[in-house]
Amino acid sequence: MCTLKRFDITCKIISNKEVCTNYFELKIKAGSIAKYCLPGQFFMIGVPGVFLRRPISVYDSKKSVLSFLYKVVGKGTGILSRMRSGQLQILGPLGKGYDLEICKDLNYVAVAGGTGIASLHFLAIKLGKNKPYKKKGTLYYGARSKKDLLCLDKFKEIGWKVVVSTEDGSKGYKGYITDILEKKVKDSDVLFACGPMPMLKKVVQIAKGKKVKGFASLEEKMACGVGNCQGCAVNINGAIKMTCKDGPVFKIEEVNL
Amino acid sequence: MVLCMKPSLAIDFMGIKLKNPVLTASGAFGYGYELADLIPLNKLGAILTKTITLEPKSGNLQPRIAEVSSGLLNSIGLQNIGAKAFIKEPLENLSKVGLPIIVSVAGSCVKEYVQTVEILSAQDTISAIELNLSCPNLKKKIVCHDLPLTQEVIKSVKKVSKVPVIVKLSPLVTDIAELSLCAQNAGANGITLANTYPAMAIDVKTFKYKLSTAKGGLSGACVKPMSVRCVYDAYQNIDIPIVGCGGIETGEDVLEFMLAGARVVSVGSASLVSPKILIKIISEIEKVLKEKNIKDIREVVGMLNTTKNAC
Ligand SMILES: Cc1cc2nc3c(=O)[nH]c(=O)nc-3n(C[C@H](O)[C@H](O)[C@H](O)COP(=O)(O)OP(=O)(O)OC[C@H]3O[C@@H](n4cnc5c(N)ncnc54)[C@H](O)[C@@H]3O)c2cc1C
Ligand SMILES: Cc1cc2nc3c(=O)[nH]c(=O)nc-3n(C[C@H](O)[C@H](O)[C@H](O)COP(=O)(O)O)c2cc1C
Ligand code: FES
Repeated sequence: MCTLKRFDITCKIISNKEVCTNYFELKIKAGSIAKYCLPGQFFMIGVPGVFLRRPISVYDSKKSVLSFLYKVVGKGTGILSRMRSGQLQILGPLGKGYDLEICKDLNYVAVAGGTGIASLHFLAIKLGKNKPYKKKGTLYYGARSKKDLLCLDKFKEIGWKVVVSTEDGSKGYKGYITDILEKKVKDSDVLFACGPMPMLKKVVQIAKGKKVKGFASLEEKMACGVGNCQGCAVNINGAIKMTCKDGPVFKIEEVNL
Repeated sequence: MVLCMKPSLAIDFMGIKLKNPVLTASGAFGYGYELADLIPLNKLGAILTKTITLEPKSGNLQPRIAEVSSGLLNSIGLQNIGAKAFIKEPLENLSKVGLPIIVSVAGSCVKEYVQTVEILSAQDTISAIELNLSCPNLKKKIVCHDLPLTQEVIKSVKKVSKVPVIVKLSPLVTDIAELSLCAQNAGANGITLANTYPAMAIDVKTFKYKLSTAKGGLSGACVKPMSVRCVYDAYQNIDIPIVGCGGIETGEDVLEFMLAGARVVSVGSASLVSPKILIKIISEIEKVLKEKNIKDIREVVGMLNTTKNAC
């Protein structure tokens, strides 16, 4: 699934609201760009006051509006979260996203940790809109506590089954989401995983052990986002690939985490 | 009414005719053709590729990139596909752009430099070679820090090269003007000043180095004043043209390097962040020249650096 078209342009902020403590939804006016975005792809977003742009996944793209869901973790996302209006420099959509074709025959299962929910949300929307994907998906979503769980209702609205776990037990199962996944996942499922490295490691291990097909979205530090600096190298099936260009979504059976 | 003439940005560089003095910097623009969909590549002065070595190199471990105030650290480790693979598809694609092509070369010994240059300079589509003598990422001592070796590499490469040879130096040397003169005396046709600055950063949250190699190369806006100084000092000591490089983000930055003595410039980190900045820089140069009523960019080269005591 390749990028059809990518842009290096300035866009207007429509809104940038805190959806729950430390998590923000940013909406920008992106004109025709929105229609080129595929689930799993990301943008490099310029934040005034920091040198490098920040990679953020597409959370939704509707008509001419592009949405992102991000967590404030450091300087860049901190500054971004305080911008209420104005303009942003963006580069994208970038990278290779999730392969939707495979969903025609298999039950789709998304595994999200933290803000990994963003790209999976866009995936669920696209699957929901497309005729060939008749089956409903299941979302396995792990977070630290109840307050870190985002957009559950949106998945339910599309008709997805939602299974939740929190580390402190404030909602759903107490523990890691991968513990539940391990018991439930079958080889008639296709996995889509996005989240922090320890979660991805476990998901890859489970998928390989049970011979389940699927995709994992990886994160690496990025400078260019377009394959030019070779900064975001990752080992895929013994070869060095660029997370930004060859990924961020890779086949689970090919990643060695 | 005064007729406002479009200033001429054309400049010749080691005998190569460039439509403007803006080049891509090695390592920040891949093999040179990959962003053709994002910017009109043929508007640039020339394309300088990432460093090519004789054999393919897989580069360093992660993390290879770390952001710092107004710049970045990198320790990519010269990842590239090797000279033989480069002259196939990448060079063919790059040649279609129709710009002068300069290929950066590194090696772990004199022989490797020579063999790589032999392969590359035999290609009709390559206009010049840039010798990367300054990569601070190699674990061994860098070539620039060994004067006899520096001269030996340049002399040996010059014997086999069919095209002009630029020598790219590390700024971290005792006397950049003296080293530039040595490079000129060894036969260099041009000098690039400068490569990245050896530097490091530590993450105090995790008590870990921010780069896998602990140390890396610093580039971006924060290095510009130091690299302008390098150009200024070297210009006073040499006759061959200088490629100014380090932290360029605007047309004004380009002119700053040129006033200090650079004949052309190369842009790295800024174009990593936004490829289209390269095109913007070119139009900004034109604007500044118009404001200053300068008709030809060649007038600017070394304009402020009148103490030149050429050898
Ligand atoms: C392909 C991709 C998609 C992403 N999608 C999202 C998303 O939808 N929502 C979201 O909240 N976050 C997402 N991230 C993570 C996000 O990029 C980082 O949280 C963000 O860059 C942190 O910036 P900062 O300045 O606040 O943090 P700092 O720690 O101050 O950043 C310092 C440097 O490290 C980099 N960095 C820090 N954390 C990460 C990380 N996890 N991944 C990559 N680079 C990092 C920054 O980009 C910056 O260059 C994604 C990362 C990647 C690679
Ligand atoms: C990610 C990255 C990779 C680089 N790779 C190379 C390289 O392969 N060879 C080289 O001579 N210089 C390399 N450089 C140095 C640049 O060409 C340039 O000299 C330096 O970054 C200073 O310019 P800037 O501040 O405009 O980036 C690299 C720089 C960066 C940021
Ligand atoms: S971020 Fe530059 S190659 Fe991936």
